[in-house]
Amino acid sequence: MLLGSVVLPGCGGSGGAREQVIVSGSTTLLPIAEVSAEMFGEENPTVSVLVSGMGSSAGIENVASGSSDIGTSSRELKDEEAALGLTDTVVAYDAIAVIVNPSNPVRDLTIEQVRAIFAGEITNWSEVGGPDLDIGVVNRDEASGTREAFKKIIMGDTRFYKGAVVLPGTGQVRAVVADVEGAIGYISLGFVTDEVAAVAIDDVMPSEEAVVNGSYTIQRTLHFFTREEVSTATQAYIDFVLSDEVQETIVREAGFIPITAKQDGSD
Amino acid sequence: MTNKQEHGGSGLAQETGELKMMSRATYFREALLRNIFMLCAIVAVAAVALIFVFVGVRGWPVVDDPGIVAFLTGTEWSSTYGEFGILPLVSGTLVVTLGALLLGAPLAIGTAVFLSEIASPRMRSIVRPAVEMLAGVPSVVFGFFGLVIIRPVVADLTGSMGFGPLTAALILAVMIVPTIATLTEDALRSVAPGIRHASYAMGATTWQTIYKVLIPAAKIGIIDATILGMGRAIGETMAVVMVAGNAPQFFSGLGEPVATLTSQIVIDMSYASGTHRTALFGLAVILFLISMGLVGLVRSLARLERRS
Repeated sequence: MLLGSVVLPGCGGSGGAREQVIVSGSTTLLPIAEVSAEMFGEENPTVSVLVSGMGSSAGIENVASGSSDIGTSSRELKDEEAALGLTDTVVAYDAIAVIVNPSNPVRDLTIEQVRAIFAGEITNWSEVGGPDLDIGVVNRDEASGTREAFKKIIMGDTRFYKGAVVLPGTGQVRAVVADVEGAIGYISLGFVTDEVAAVAIDDVMPSEEAVVNGSYTIQRTLHFFTREEVSTATQAYIDFVLSDEVQETIVREAGFIPITAKQDGSD
Repeated sequence: MTNKQEHGGSGLAQETGELKMMSRATYFREALLRNIFMLCAIVAVAAVALIFVFVGVRGWPVVDDPGIVAFLTGTEWSSTYGEFGILPLVSGTLVVTLGALLLGAPLAIGTAVFLSEIASPRMRSIVRPAVEMLAGVPSVVFGFFGLVIIRPVVADLTGSMGFGPLTAALILAVMIVPTIATLTEDALRSVAPGIRHASYAMGATTWQTIYKVLIPAAKIGIIDATILGMGRAIGETMAVVMVAGNAPQFFSGLGEPVATLTSQIVIDMSYASGTHRTALFGLAVILFLISMGLVGLVRSLARLERRS
């Protein structure tokens, strides 16, 4: 209600025309952006927030070119994008969990082992203390922000194994790892269910605490990018997403880690 | 004579004149319909031409960047590293398509022989609609079926994850059955009845008639049908993306993932820009040329048939 009063004067006089906030970008961020847009719309009937997911790169391109008000991204800006002069607002944190089939006894890998597995250098689970079983590497497509983050944190300059199965969605990766005994993949922590088993990396299991205190290293920041000048309605929507109301409910329910957790942790 | 002729001639002219006068409304209606139908044909042709021009213009820059040689003979496709070589994708497309034909064509031709030569009318009335219905199943359903049912079976057979050419070929084999079966059945039916009767009159059995007389007689029609089925297999995208594994590498085993020309376009198009996008249009040009080649092959076979 308080937010409503901020927005209303901005557009109330313009003869009932609804103000639009166009949000596009990361599919990882869709649950947060969409649900909060719906709630925001209910509280502010004069503003409609339109959300679409086309991948982080598209979101950044759209906000820079002016066709979107907010570009959502599950990765950092690349060098050439940093020159666009976008304003960065962190809206949540996320851990990327390395997952295996529950029947696989391996529950602990080092970063070096994960890198070697995804580079195709380690091909059998017995090399990392598991059973004599071929490793089935499941990778994401190159449009994926999750892949981008995983590549940056784990792989560095090492190339992914060319023979890895490439699947275009988090759900598909989880389904295949849940089904294939020797499979290994990586997905956002929020998507990990009982069907698959997350693996500890350098002895640290992915969890909110481990992300907050920094001990779990495969983590990333989820961003809203805007141009320097934002409309009142856009700012109101961003403030709404950052509010405790959204952070503690929508962000947490979507399986991400609210920004407040890290602020509390560092205080 | 001359008089008579003149008289008769003018009479005829009058008659046809009257006929034209009488049917002016009909004449205009006919002309209108002719033009409407011509417009339909022009729209179809223009659509093909426009798509070809659009794809060609957008894809043309691959000649300079990454360069036509690198594009056509490159062995790596990786947008992250700016490598756009189509050979692994062509190899994937070939393996998957040939696999689908090897499995699907015998199945389809067998179905067609059964429908045209063996089945009772009652049987035919059950089998034919079932085959036709196969053509109406959306490809995403085939893909889902393949992912959930066939992939685990292939995984057990090959000891891999089951994503790869074998799974893709198995699904495509079923998907191309309606195309090949329907056209083959037409070809078998169009064999002159006399030939069939002559064979039976000579004391040939049903089987002998089928493989010694009918199939050779309908040979070109059957090849036609198979080529069209092949076109369907090459162009199929959705089902292939779901089960092929989408790794742009050369064929390295029935259960090892591959990517095809179409699947790579789908996987990449959501985020491609710059050279990468151009390269995707380049892939589309290659697909266009392949399908033009196949249509050309069918046309020249049809000419061959008419001549013989």
